[in-house]
Formats: sequence, structure tokens, C-alpha cells
Amino acid sequence: MRPSLRLLNLEVPGSRALYVCSICRQEARPRPIVARQFLRHASSNADSLSERVRRKLWGTDNPPGLKDPYGESLLEKRFGKPKPQEPEEPQVEETNELAEPSDGLEPGVSYEPATTWHGLERVGHLGRWKDAPPSEADTYGSFAPKHKLYKKGPLSLAAHQAAVEISLMQALNRPLTHVCKVVEHDKPIFKLIWKTKVLPTSPNWGESLKFHNENAKKVLFYVFEQIGGTQPEAAEQEQAVEDIEVEEFENFEIVEDPSPPAPNPRFFGYTEPRFKSATSLPLTDPAIKFAFLKRFSQLSGHYFPDNIVSQITNVKHAMQYIQGQLHPKPTKLAEQLENDKQLQTLSNVKVFSKRQTTLHRDDEKGRRKLIESELRARGLLE
Amino acid sequence: MPVQGIRSVTAARNGVGAFILQCKRLEFHYCDWAGSSRGMLSYLKHQLPAFAKANPQIEIRVSPRPHKHPVVKGHYVNGREKAICVRNLEPEQIVKKVHLLKEASGEKLKRTKKPVTSLNESVRGIWSPYHGGLKSV
Repeated sequence: MRPSLRLLNLEVPGSRALYVCSICRQEARPRPIVARQFLRHASSNADSLSERVRRKLWGTDNPPGLKDPYGESLLEKRFGKPKPQEPEEPQVEETNELAEPSDGLEPGVSYEPATTWHGLERVGHLGRWKDAPPSEADTYGSFAPKHKLYKKGPLSLAAHQAAVEISLMQALNRPLTHVCKVVEHDKPIFKLIWKTKVLPTSPNWGESLKFHNENAKKVLFYVFEQIGGTQPEAAEQEQAVEDIEVEEFENFEIVEDPSPPAPNPRFFGYTEPRFKSATSLPLTDPAIKFAFLKRFSQLSGHYFPDNIVSQITNVKHAMQYIQGQLHPKPTKLAEQLENDKQLQTLSNVKVFSKRQTTLHRDDEKGRRKLIESELRARGLLE
Repeated sequence: MPVQGIRSVTAARNGVGAFILQCKRLEFHYCDWAGSSRGMLSYLKHQLPAFAKANPQIEIRVSPRPHKHPVVKGHYVNGREKAICVRNLEPEQIVKKVHLLKEASGEKLKRTKKPVTSLNESVRGIWSPYHGGLKSV
């Protein structure tokens, strides 16, 4: 028997004349209430079947989870009627407490909105960093000077200064890299450094200095002790320090003058070091090497890559690297071939230093003039 | 007056009379920076002068081609050119490639099917229907 007939027999017994298809029969059948209760709009009722099932499953009258499992729609949230407040007061209090400090106002200060812009630091919102006025942290100060040193005289001067400074810090047993905190010394201090001789005979940098006189030694030690980051501690030294200060001010009156706004020339006009013995100082100790190269790069403006740092063994090597002698730039092959005497005698060899294009070929064969004249005749070239 | 035969000029057979090398120009391109030109740089520095001296009939041009692989280009009498990329090759390998270009005729490579090839005509001559064993119908 066909399925349609079988259905007819089952559903409508005794009325074989009226045939209704199975789909129409399903539509016409009265729908059970149970099925409608699973629909979303019908499930908002608290006594709905789903709610009753949830209660039964959890075993309590207040089962956990959302009452409406599909959540509240965005439109309902925005335009829907305000729901009656449920007892959630403790949470609200907590959020208020958290929100108070985020206003940016200190406790006890009342906020009064301004009606005019008189007396305001700025007008606008406080949202972005770029809206705020620049602070000290925003100003950029370069580690290296703007202009690099290339000439031998200023380079050896920078090397001498760095060597004397590192030796002084070593002698004072201070952190060596602190010399970089002072980018440029005052002229009298620099002059004392310039007059100080470095003796490369001693492997210890702290013992390698020969000062101009005893007074210069005292002054330099006093200055670099301060650069080291610690003040003279002992009370006994106070008197000595005062004496040194008095001497310093007596000897160098320029220090007392207010600093002129015009920038000083590099190394105060000195072009050559007085003693060139600093170039043979060894750089075997890694700490001294690092401190020296850091200070030297700060004074000279040249950066030392890691592989070069590992190759450098003395001060002279560092200077040679900057002058390009340690790693000369590789020459082009064309230059080498042009200087080759054997090739110069051969008439069938042509060496070009630049890439040869079709333009060169046209030029060489004399076609370029023809091409250009033809282009001009057609108005394509002016 | 005795009849004189027509004088025929000797046909220039390449390799028998005056030999003309088919390769007329060799171009060497290299890069100063790239590592694939290392062998080429060495070849140009050390072995090219001797090659150029030994082959004065070949015009040699050396020019850089920055950021490209090294190439040797041969220009031939028949107007064709052959290029061989010599990237990452040793100087000795480049010597072989240059020799190959120098010896080449410039023609496209052909597959030789027969064991013997000759420019000479066959000694048996061209077949003719009027000569030889005539058959009567």
C-alpha cells in the first residue's frame, strides 16, 4: 500500500472519499501547547515549561544561569522599558567605589566646571599624550654628538680625554661608565685633563696617570669623585674639600661666570693632545674596554659594533677603526681591473665601471642620434 | 685558340682555408656585493687577462650588473647570442663555460641522429631516371 493511502487509513478512518495530503494535514492539525512553550517569545514567562524544567533540574527555585538563555537583545536594552531594580545593591556600591578614583580628582576636592577659558592651562580633553604640554621626559637628548670626528687630531684628543677619565675613575674605584654622565667638562677641568700625561707602561689604568702638579691631581680627584655618584662622607674630609674648592675657585675664575648661551667649540679649540702616549694603552680588561669605548664613542660620535669591539685590543685600534684603517672599505672590481697593467695593454678588453644598458649600446653604435632626431621630428622629445 | 675552362675560385671552407672564430664578443657581468659572484670576481681578476691575451680576436667587455647573478654572454657572427649564468660557480668551472661559449658556433643546438655528417656530396651522385639501368616497359 502507498504511504499516502496508509496515512489516510490511519488518520481518517472511514472517510476514504476525502483525500488530504500529509503536509496539509500537519498544518491543519491543532498545535499542542507544549511545543509553543519552547519558543523564545513564550519562554519569558516565569512559569513556562523551560523555567519549570530548569528548576526541576537544579532542584531549587532560583536556578543559576540566565533566565532567558538567549540573552536580552540590543534593541531591548536600548529602547526597552526600564526593568524594576532587582536586589543587586552590594555590586552597585562596589562599582561606585571603584569609579570614584578614576575621575582624576583627589578626595576632598570638588570639581567645578569652567565657564570661560581664563585661568585654564589648556582647553580640550585630557585624553591623549600629544594634547598634554611637553614634559622633561619628552625632550630627546642624543648620546652621541651631532657631528662625528674624523680628523686624527680631535680623535686622539677624544681618546686621551677618555683614557684620563677612565684612569681617574679606576684610581678612585668608582663605576667607570659614570664618566658618560658628564658630556662636556668645563674648560679649566678639560685643560687639566689635557695637561695630564698617560703612562702606558703600567697595565693598571688607575696607576697610569702623571698629573701636571699636585694641585691638578687634587682638583681632578675631587671632581671625578663627585662624578662617581658619592659625596665625600667622612667629616674629616670636609675641611680638605673646602680647601680644594677655594683653590679651584681661585685658580679658575671662569667657573664662577654664568655659562654663556653660545655653545663652546669642540674641545675648547684644542686640536691636538699634549701627550700622545694614550694610544698605546691596552684594552685587555673587559670592564675598562667597555667603559673606554662607551666614552670614546660618546666623544667621537662613532658607534662600535660588537665584532669590532672584540677585535680591538688597544686604544690605537679603536682610533684606526674610526679612521677606516682597521677595516678598509672593499674596492670595486672595476677599479682593480682598470689598474691591472696586463689588462691595460690588451686592446680587446673593455672594462666598464657602471652597468651597461641599451642606451649605452645605442650611443656606442651611433643609433642614439638617429633615434633622438626621429623622436624630435615626431614631436615626442623636446 | 684553345678553349679555356672557366676558372673557379676556391670556395672558403671554414677550418680548411682561413678559420674565422664564430664567437666575436664575450660579455662578463658580475656583482660587487653578492656572494654568487665570488667565483666570477676571482676569475675576472686572475684568469681573464690570460684568456684575453690568448684570444685577441674576441672582444671582451666587463661590466657590473648590481644585485644580479653573474652572467657570461657570447655574441656570434651569425647574430645570435648565448648566455650562461655562472652563479656560485668556482673559477675553474667558469673557465669551462667560457671555453664552451668560445667554441660554440652560435647556432641552435641540434640533435645529431646519424653517426656521420659531411658537407661533401655523396660519391654516388644524384639519382637520375635517365641514367643507369634503364628498364624497358
